[in-house]
Amino acid sequence: MNKTININLAGIIFHLDEPAYEAFKSYLSRVKSALDGQEGAAEIIADIEARIAEIFSMRITEFKREVVTALDVDFVINTLGQPEDFQDEEDATFSDQNTSSNGTKTKKRLYRNPDESYIGGVASGIAAYFGTDTVWIRLLFLGLLFFTPIGFFTYIILWAAMPEAKTTAQKLQMRGEPVNLSNIEKSVKEELDGVKERFGRFREESKGSGKNVADGAQSVLAFIFMVLETIFTFIFKFIGIILIIIGIIFGSFLLLGMLGVVATTWNIGGLEYLTFDGAVLGLNGLEAIIGTGTTLNVLRIGALLTLLLPLFGLISLIARAFGKPLANARILNITGGASFALGLILLIYSGISVGKSFKVGATEMTTTTLSGNQFDLRADLIEENDAFLFEVDDTQLRIENVQLNIKKTFDTTATLVLKHRARGKNNSSARLRAQSFEYPIRQTGTVLTFNEFFSVPKEALYRAQELRGTLYLPIGTEVFLDPSIENIVYDIENYHNMLDRKMLGHTWRMERKGLVCVDCQDIEYYSSDDLNEIDEAIDEVNDGLENLEDDISEEIERLELELKRLKNK
Amino acid sequence: MKIENTKAQMRKGILEYCILGILQSGDAYASDIIAQLKNAKLIVVEGTLYPLLTRLKNAGLLEYRWEESSSGPPRKYYSLSEMGQQFQKELKGTWEELQQAVDIITTPKSTS
Repeated sequence: MNKTININLAGIIFHLDEPAYEAFKSYLSRVKSALDGQEGAAEIIADIEARIAEIFSMRITEFKREVVTALDVDFVINTLGQPEDFQDEEDATFSDQNTSSNGTKTKKRLYRNPDESYIGGVASGIAAYFGTDTVWIRLLFLGLLFFTPIGFFTYIILWAAMPEAKTTAQKLQMRGEPVNLSNIEKSVKEELDGVKERFGRFREESKGSGKNVADGAQSVLAFIFMVLETIFTFIFKFIGIILIIIGIIFGSFLLLGMLGVVATTWNIGGLEYLTFDGAVLGLNGLEAIIGTGTTLNVLRIGALLTLLLPLFGLISLIARAFGKPLANARILNITGGASFALGLILLIYSGISVGKSFKVGATEMTTTTLSGNQFDLRADLIEENDAFLFEVDDTQLRIENVQLNIKKTFDTTATLVLKHRARGKNNSSARLRAQSFEYPIRQTGTVLTFNEFFSVPKEALYRAQELRGTLYLPIGTEVFLDPSIENIVYDIENYHNMLDRKMLGHTWRMERKGLVCVDCQDIEYYSSDDLNEIDEAIDEVNDGLENLEDDISEEIERLELELKRLKNK
Repeated sequence: MKIENTKAQMRKGILEYCILGILQSGDAYASDIIAQLKNAKLIVVEGTLYPLLTRLKNAGLLEYRWEESSSGPPRKYYSLSEMGQQFQKELKGTWEELQQAVDIITTPKSTS
């Protein structure tokens, strides 16, 4: 009894028994792959199928049967010929000449190798591509993995990007062997032979093991090795899976970070927490540098385009994780790659155009005369949490880059000199920016209050603006440094070589030799000159002591002699 | 230089000419053409012919029509197109010239 399978060939139904069906199916698919890529292949196949249908019906009527058998299929194959014969002679000779004259193999393609894989078959696919042993590629990946995360990301990206070699043709392309029928048959046969061989060996071993004790011991060893191998394979696969999970987590974070950048440039509310450097740049940090013009749009589009690739990668990874690899992953890869490249170009372009606007620097100076000979320097503190490098609101850009120094002047009045520095595309734009600083200083009585930041109009954008103030004090002036100015004082020279931080909270007097602390009491604040005087004094005392010692010993000698003389009497 | 290549190339040109020649003397179904070619020992298996017919048809040298068949699916009957007829004539001329030329060159020069 034989099961039959119904097939539809050129609109006619045939009943094929199982062996006939298997043989016919394999023949037809070999013919199809032989014709694959040839012009009008579909039509040729239709013609061939029609012809086969005709032969089948002819033979069924001739032999008065209902079922097509393997004999009929053999007859068809003999009549129509082997799949090699189906190739148009023109194409065949052409490709023949091509390979023989160049002596090169078919163009290799990078595939993942599912037959020899621990994780995704990436390493063995690469090894097949370069014709090396898989071990080296694996070691390379492991090495990269231990020293940097690069190996890991590379693996994940390659995994997503490299298609799996599923068909025999793809497996041949993976090794760079020409994809023709004889090679396909060869590789299929090799595979079958391998299976047969293993099976045969297994049978022999199981037979042999029962026969004598020596073989028994051997088979025990073999068994142990097999168990070890299985365990190691399992461990490797387990590590692989863990790595994949870590990769997905890392990738997600990376993606979230990128999304954060995009959200920041677009001021999408509610996504602030995604920015890594939100505290430093403020929410609108990028806008402050780039402005709202074309460059910002270019940057936004660039950022979005570069995002597509990891997004697609993630999608296909997730799809793979769910066991349903995307059918059109190739299209995703191509569009993702193209948009990544384009996005990168846009990002570089906007980067360069922003960079250009930092080219030239300019400095403006304002001088304010201050009345009085006693000052109390204070600062309006920005709250700790709102610390920023720069921040934009509706009209203004506030920049926290103020430094204050104190120097001596031989004038009779104190002056505050403020240097405004800014950069720009050219000299005039930089100068214009430098002129537009807003930095109010309030003087009430002796108290001078500074801000920790200055403001520029929003349109001026952040162009490395900075403010450098110098308070010139005439000799005899006293100044109190309030601890609040900690963030703006910078390296104030003083007679005691004291650090800024220690100078705060004390009153200082400007003298001919520099700033001198009026109310510091600790000995450690004494200058080196004073120390010399002390050293000299100590030396003097020591000298005196030595002289005294000499005098005393002389006196003792003299008294001893006197004593002897008295005893003799 | 492979002998197989040379043979294949020689046969290819002749095969196309022969198909056109068969159709010159009347429309034919693929099997008829194959049978005649097989008789003449130009081809061994049918498979070779299907791609060739399709190529000639796509080149505009052949036309075909469907005809019902008593045994099996409808058949494609091929015929020469205008262009195919001209092509065949030209090939015929060339073939005769070639035949002469080959004869002159390859026959032993016993007369001289």
